Amino acid sequence: MATTALRPAVPARSALYEWVTTTDHKKIGILYVINSFIFFGIGGLLALGVRAELAFPGLQFVEDSAYNQLFTVHASAMLFLFIIPMLAGFGNYAVPLMIGAPDMAFPRINALSFWMLPLAGIVMMSGFLVQGGAAAAGWTSYPPLAEATYSGQGTDLWIVAVVLIGTSSILGAVNFLVTIFKLRAPGMTLLRMPIFAWTILVTSVLVLFATPVLASGLIMLFIDRNYGGNFFDPATGGIAVLYQNVFWFYSHPAVYIMVLPAMGIISEILPVFSRKPLFGYKAFIFATAAIGALGFSVWAHHMFTTGSVFLPFFSLMTFLIAVPTGVKMFNWIGTMWRGHLTFPTPMIYALGFLTMFLIGGINGAFSASVPVDFALHDTYFVVAHLHYVLFGGSVFAVFAGLFFWFPKMTGRMLDETLGKIQFVIMFIGFNLTFFPMHQLGLAGMPRRIADYSSTAGWNDLNLVATVGSMLIGVAMVPFLVNVLISLRSGKLAGDNPWDANTLEWATTSPPPPYNFDHLPDIRSERPVFDTRHPEAAAH
Amino acid sequence: MTTPRRTGPSPAIVILIAGALSVLAFLGILLLQGPDLAAQLQSVVDSFFPPAAVTEQGREIRNLYDIVFWVGAVIFFLVEGLIIFAVIRYWRRPGKSADLPPQTHGNNLLEVVWTIIPLAIVLALFVISWQTLNTVDARSANPDVSVRAIAARFQWTFEYLKPDGETVEFTQLSPEMVVPVNETIHLKLRSPDVNHAFYVPEFLFKRDVIPGQDNNFDFVADQTGTYRGQCAELCGAQHWAMQFTVRVVERAEYDAWFAEQRAAAQATPAPSASPGAPSGPQIDLAAANIAFDKATLEAPADTPFTINFENNDAGIPHNVEIRDADGVSLFKGEIFNGVDSRLYAIPALPAGDYTFICTVHPNMTGTLSVR
Repeated sequence: MATTALRPAVPARSALYEWVTTTDHKKIGILYVINSFIFFGIGGLLALGVRAELAFPGLQFVEDSAYNQLFTVHASAMLFLFIIPMLAGFGNYAVPLMIGAPDMAFPRINALSFWMLPLAGIVMMSGFLVQGGAAAAGWTSYPPLAEATYSGQGTDLWIVAVVLIGTSSILGAVNFLVTIFKLRAPGMTLLRMPIFAWTILVTSVLVLFATPVLASGLIMLFIDRNYGGNFFDPATGGIAVLYQNVFWFYSHPAVYIMVLPAMGIISEILPVFSRKPLFGYKAFIFATAAIGALGFSVWAHHMFTTGSVFLPFFSLMTFLIAVPTGVKMFNWIGTMWRGHLTFPTPMIYALGFLTMFLIGGINGAFSASVPVDFALHDTYFVVAHLHYVLFGGSVFAVFAGLFFWFPKMTGRMLDETLGKIQFVIMFIGFNLTFFPMHQLGLAGMPRRIADYSSTAGWNDLNLVATVGSMLIGVAMVPFLVNVLISLRSGKLAGDNPWDANTLEWATTSPPPPYNFDHLPDIRSERPVFDTRHPEAAAH
Repeated sequence: MTTPRRTGPSPAIVILIAGALSVLAFLGILLLQGPDLAAQLQSVVDSFFPPAAVTEQGREIRNLYDIVFWVGAVIFFLVEGLIIFAVIRYWRRPGKSADLPPQTHGNNLLEVVWTIIPLAIVLALFVISWQTLNTVDARSANPDVSVRAIAARFQWTFEYLKPDGETVEFTQLSPEMVVPVNETIHLKLRSPDVNHAFYVPEFLFKRDVIPGQDNNFDFVADQTGTYRGQCAELCGAQHWAMQFTVRVVERAEYDAWFAEQRAAAQATPAPSASPGAPSGPQIDLAAANIAFDKATLEAPADTPFTINFENNDAGIPHNVEIRDADGVSLFKGEIFNGVDSRLYAIPALPAGDYTFICTVHPNMTGTLSVR
């Protein structure tokens, strides 16, 4: 036998160099998750600043102009730098594995889409360092308030950051679509694809159609601000409401960009821990596509009070979108029905999602009814609604997904006890924070106000909400401890710790760079289940 | 097949802990507010509804809200009940045999049913919403009173319009709109700068005030009283301070008020705010960022004195008004735009505590103690 050892073709590099230069979808996916989580932390601290200021009447901690920066950057960070990239990160990690592909279709573009995000985040946050502070016109940045007359350089940085993030999303969407249409393993037909991959597919279509519209709107705003564009400023002949139409043409579908993959995660987790297939797989796909399509015809429900919207049409479409959403809720319950339910942490978070998202769906119907929206629009009722959808929905699904896929990503399990402690604190904190906001909104408290009169009757509920928000902050401690401990000494996961059904569980944890040594036969949407239960597979 | 593994605290414990803590927190909040539990419970129930409407349009909206609320509540308890039932009924305790449950893939009939029923519900909600919308959004051909609300950063002024609905009869500079009860008021909305929104919680209504686009709506207030209103569309740093009141009065009172205002507007703009030359001790007061720089002022009793008032808010109107403990206005200084200053000559006041306030921004207030 020869004694010369094989030498790697490329000399070994440092781990840092590996991560910075990687084009492996799994590493990029993990980078997405870490980066998103950092901005979740930043956005969360900004939110705690908002809640601290609102705890009592009177301006105690920040000036009103600084307060406006807090909630503007909080929302922008949470939406653009946390939820959307976090779900794209899960997509990056899971979709190629789920469809039996070795990587994304365009690995280098994939790396580019990721690295634009930290850059965009730095650009947005650098607003705090410039004259006049960060963007303060709300995450919606309506002109004329967002025009140069009223808003400083922070708004320009905000526009640049959001356009960068949009570009990253568009590149990512193209990559997902090509990957899904071109790189599926033999046997993996579209109607055998895991629901999560389907939601990423529909989301990518939404991104591709909607994000360029946002980008063009923001570029017009940038031209208005810096080169006298006259697009949106009535003082120079522009139309203020035009911006709102353009903005919401993206930003309403963006809600589904933030919710559909979350629904996808839940639809992967519920069948696994019910030991049953997803109830109504095809109906679920149609419902996802229907939400995506209807999602383009409801944008003006954010503008019912502008007096320049054809109200009945948008009201009808908004009501209609509740139907496919309701179908999904029943499919999830049908999945659990007569199952063998077990409750590891991912399942607990999935159940939290079902309850919170149910509330977020029902309180949304109030605003679909135009006259009721006249009462509730721009009050804390809307703040309650959007947080029940985006926090109770998307963020709970994100944690469900983290606990579910962490073993695949790292080869080690997260601790169950710490995970459930985190869930209980977060669930209580979330409801204490956001449920009273319904009542505050009904009592007439508008959103985005830095202060309120002590005689308005809003004192107690605001204090409750602030206490709740602190609890949410506390809930992050067991999570961070859990991740740090589990990375070092968590229980070894093995290939398939949850007895899950989709292809990512057919390879090692973590998977090799090329993903699969060999693929099982793919004869249904649950190829790993079929391998495990050949007797039940025939259907 | 692996045996089911222990997975930390059982779900029943988690649900119980979460439920118990929520109930405790809820009861704690109730007890903090007072011992009268029945009244407290009633106020909790009330908090899920908008305030009692004081306009005809608001009543329509409230009726619609109630319908949407009860439909939503029933759906919530039904679906949440199904979720909780499924969790408890189909919870697999560890150690049970590892055989598979029936692998149901779907049920077409069931899926059609749970598509059609929600569809019927939302279509019904849409139809009644549309009907209410037509009532709420109707305009009268002959409104009894026409007012134009001007929303500017960061104050409200109200122009009372002549019967042609366009020309201004007089302008109410303090942020208070006075309207007669049980008559149709046509409100036009105008903004010279950024987007605002006219919002009165007791009207259950708001409409955006958008520059370059004069919005309007009609309302009929059917309850006399004073109602708080506030800008509801982010308009900048002092958005929170942009408040106003609507005072609904009987026709006779309205006519008297109207005549008085019109007479005052037609009179020569005399320095009515400053009767007499500035005299007595001078007190300094300044306003910046919609706030006074002092929370308390001191003045000698039974002696006229002067307030040297500096308005440092560029383009924003302020003044100083002095009110007694009952809220009766004793002195109302001229309202002027910053950056500028005025000397207000204040008549002699008996010893006691008074309130000084900016008429345009009722949030700007402080105590004047006369000794």
